[in-house]
Amino acid sequence: MFIIAIFLLLILFAILSFAIKESSWKIATLESLLILILTMVYGILRFTGYNGGFMSSYSYAIDTSIGISFTVGVSALSMALLFLSAVIMFIAIFVSGREKFDRSFYGLMLTTELGLYGLLISRNFLFFYVFWEAIIIPVFMLISIYGGAGKEKAALKFFVYTQIGSVFLLLSILTLFSFYGTANHVFTLNMSKLLDSSFIIKYISEPQPFWTDFLLFGFFFSFLVKMPSFPLHSWLPDAYTSAPYPVSIVLAGAISLMGGYGFFAVLLPIAPVIGSGIAWAIIILGIFSLVYFALVAMFQTDMKRMMAYASAASMGFISISLGIGILSTGYIAYLAVSGGIFQILAHGLIMGLVFSSLYIIKNTSGSQSNLTLSGLFREMPIISTFFLAGIMASLGLPGLAGFIAEASIVLASYQVIGYIIFFIIFGMIITASYHVWTVQKSLNGPYNENLGKLKDGTMMEIAVLSFLFIIILILGIYPSLFYHMILVYVKGVF
Amino acid sequence: MNNILINPQLTAMYPEIFLGIVAFGMLLMGKRTHDWKIYTSIAIISLLISMVLLIRFDSSYVSYYGGAFLISNFGLYFALIMIVSSLYVAFSAGTTLRDNPEVFFATFLFVNVAMIIAAFSMNLIFIFIAFEGVSVGTYILSAYGKTRRNLEASAKYFFTGIIATGFIVLGSSYYYMATGTFNLISGVPEKGPMLIALILLFVGFGFKLALVPMQQWAVDAYDGTSNPVSAYLSSGTKVLAFFILLRVFLVGFSHFYTDVFYLFVIVSIITMTYGNFAALSENNLKRMLAYSSIAQAGYLILVIAVVSGSSSTFAFTVAIFAAMYYSLVYIFMKGGSFLSVGAVRKDKVEVNDLEGIGIKSPLFAVSLSILMLSLAGIPPTAGFFAKYYLFLSLISGNLWWLAVIGILNSAISVFYYLRVITVMFRKNDSNEFNLSSPVMLPLVLAAILTIVLSFVIFYYPQLSSIVYGLGVMGR
Repeated sequence: MFIIAIFLLLILFAILSFAIKESSWKIATLESLLILILTMVYGILRFTGYNGGFMSSYSYAIDTSIGISFTVGVSALSMALLFLSAVIMFIAIFVSGREKFDRSFYGLMLTTELGLYGLLISRNFLFFYVFWEAIIIPVFMLISIYGGAGKEKAALKFFVYTQIGSVFLLLSILTLFSFYGTANHVFTLNMSKLLDSSFIIKYISEPQPFWTDFLLFGFFFSFLVKMPSFPLHSWLPDAYTSAPYPVSIVLAGAISLMGGYGFFAVLLPIAPVIGSGIAWAIIILGIFSLVYFALVAMFQTDMKRMMAYASAASMGFISISLGIGILSTGYIAYLAVSGGIFQILAHGLIMGLVFSSLYIIKNTSGSQSNLTLSGLFREMPIISTFFLAGIMASLGLPGLAGFIAEASIVLASYQVIGYIIFFIIFGMIITASYHVWTVQKSLNGPYNENLGKLKDGTMMEIAVLSFLFIIILILGIYPSLFYHMILVYVKGVF
Repeated sequence: MNNILINPQLTAMYPEIFLGIVAFGMLLMGKRTHDWKIYTSIAIISLLISMVLLIRFDSSYVSYYGGAFLISNFGLYFALIMIVSSLYVAFSAGTTLRDNPEVFFATFLFVNVAMIIAAFSMNLIFIFIAFEGVSVGTYILSAYGKTRRNLEASAKYFFTGIIATGFIVLGSSYYYMATGTFNLISGVPEKGPMLIALILLFVGFGFKLALVPMQQWAVDAYDGTSNPVSAYLSSGTKVLAFFILLRVFLVGFSHFYTDVFYLFVIVSIITMTYGNFAALSENNLKRMLAYSSIAQAGYLILVIAVVSGSSSTFAFTVAIFAAMYYSLVYIFMKGGSFLSVGAVRKDKVEVNDLEGIGIKSPLFAVSLSILMLSLAGIPPTAGFFAKYYLFLSLISGNLWWLAVIGILNSAISVFYYLRVITVMFRKNDSNEFNLSSPVMLPLVLAAILTIVLSFVIFYYPQLSSIVYGLGVMGR
């Protein structure tokens, strides 16, 4: 019930933020901080000594004849991502204090968080889908009302892309529901029951193989749009660039987790159904995304756009990890999949750090282009350090969270795809090169005197960014904090 | 005397008789007063009373007049929601009237009488009379503003409507030729004349639902008439036309389901695709809404395709439930969005004229946004759940390709619905808005209802138990 209490509290907070006129930033920050603390307490209480399965299972039947119930359950996967979304929303709301946003901005931000929590705790497909879709609305509003140049076009593009993805998700859910009902004469939308590979093989794959492809297509399509993966990514640069910075933080840190969550919560349990052809296709898409986005990012001068592509590139690892997990068995599969889940978490936190420090740089200097920015270390040493730390984590420096995830995926990949990992390494090298290059141009070198005198971040900002950096560092040095429970979850699912 | 009054054949007609008497009374009162407030309240109260008289039925399956009149909870449900749509429009209609409100409201009540009759009819003659009652009434209503544009719209509506009437009469004759009866439940008919009847009746009844290729009148008529009337034309009368299509083609043509299936699949695909693509490039707000209601009609008739194309009982139940639920939600989301056009003080309202309203009145903007999201089928609005059941029925009826076409269409439609939302939140101080209560109240009500109606899914077992009242045999 604890997690439902947090969820209900979030509903209350979202309404409060819409309602209260005065000092909305302070209130929203406190609210999101409280949610973060509660989530951490919840994680410590329920997930010490976790041994697989779902915690806080709860179900309230709404309509038994058609299988709708409000079913809640938190796995290690959801827990890691709940923690991630709480951290990201807190950071995003906190740093937004640099600009004067009105109360509906904070209301919409908390509504986004509400949607994420709902998505991550739901174990009923109807609610899963409702929250999946409901998240798009506040994000769309945030971009289209508060964004910069080209905001309306970007918001519309974002909405339509993700909407086309979601409708296929809906069709897949309906297919599962319908087949389950015909086979067992019980109608249910319970995810644990529907995502059962033996049921799918017996009642769908064997009698009607077409429907399996239909089903998998819907799931893959909608998750790949959200990630975003290579051919379905064109909403990404516009949305990231036009969105106000706090929303970009949410997009990179929290919205991108949805695609990964779909991969590991929906597709992983039915992995035996997915053929090796599809698995190879996913791996190749992942590698292609990684290399392609890295190459595109290399030629960006706008650092926000560059990091948007960098974010998409590192999501390529998640596709790879799922594909490897399907193709292999035993230890290698566990390694790949846990690495993938860990990558979602690490990537979200790192992007949070990168975008929030970049936001402070942009806000004080007025520029986010690496053509005008140079030698920032002289004027803003502390924020520049945080930006450097974020960039280093993003390129996968050992000792920081990103390395653990990438290392496990690459290690596992070598066992399965052999020398094809050369392409992954190639993508990583390009990533490293433009990351270092960016730092060199914007932070080092002679200071661009045209920018004038700049103020470093405030004490509060430094404190919050240090908190974020410390999490990344801890996860890099002592990954078992999350890695262990993720591994337990993965072993339980496979 | 007592015996006649409680004779079930007569009590079945009480709501119609009551509304008819009130309507004539109104015309008589017109000599005394022209105050629209009085007539609006009389109309609303009498509609409420007729609802009470209707609810009294509560029987699952009783037929009168030799099978021509079927009292079932299914018909009752549709009769009630058509009255609800009238109630919804009545309030804002009164405020826009300039003269002779008594004629307007009397006509309005006559239309309702015809609607109630249609909801219980199982005979083509009854249905034809009721349908014409509604048509003639709405011809008058749409001409009511007396401006040039109103008259032009009404004339277009009238002349095309008359042609549709001709098709219905001709189709009914062929139907009689094939079956030897006008009753919808009949023996095994002859194939030749029956197929001609299928086409003719489809053209006649499909006209009112603005299915392609009988759609163009709707765009002009909705655009030209006053907002409450176009709200009514696109909600109440559309639900009626949809209900009649369900009855006539699913009951009357139950031996020719293959032909019904192909006809409706083709028309549905063309209608929704046409409606959506035409709406994409439309800048006039009312015309855009008109095209969107054409597209919505395309989704609605998917129900007929499912029922005729699949033998699964589950698909049938869900499809008819979707039809019932969609109709209910449709009234508010479509009616509400047409009424909201009244907020702009202009004759021809462009989408861009809504600029800046989000800052002047956030309540208006949020309400209209909810309606647009509901029309686009985005959760957590009721419009999503309506589409959810519709697509569920398609999938369980094994019609996956139709589901894909439908769902891609609904994804395309997001473009023009969201355009309205983004425009509203732009900054612009130059536009003038009429945010008085007759505009705001129905809109806010509709927005609240489109959220609240999501909870109708809790009542799925109760509502799905009445789908058999449709009268389809053997299910």
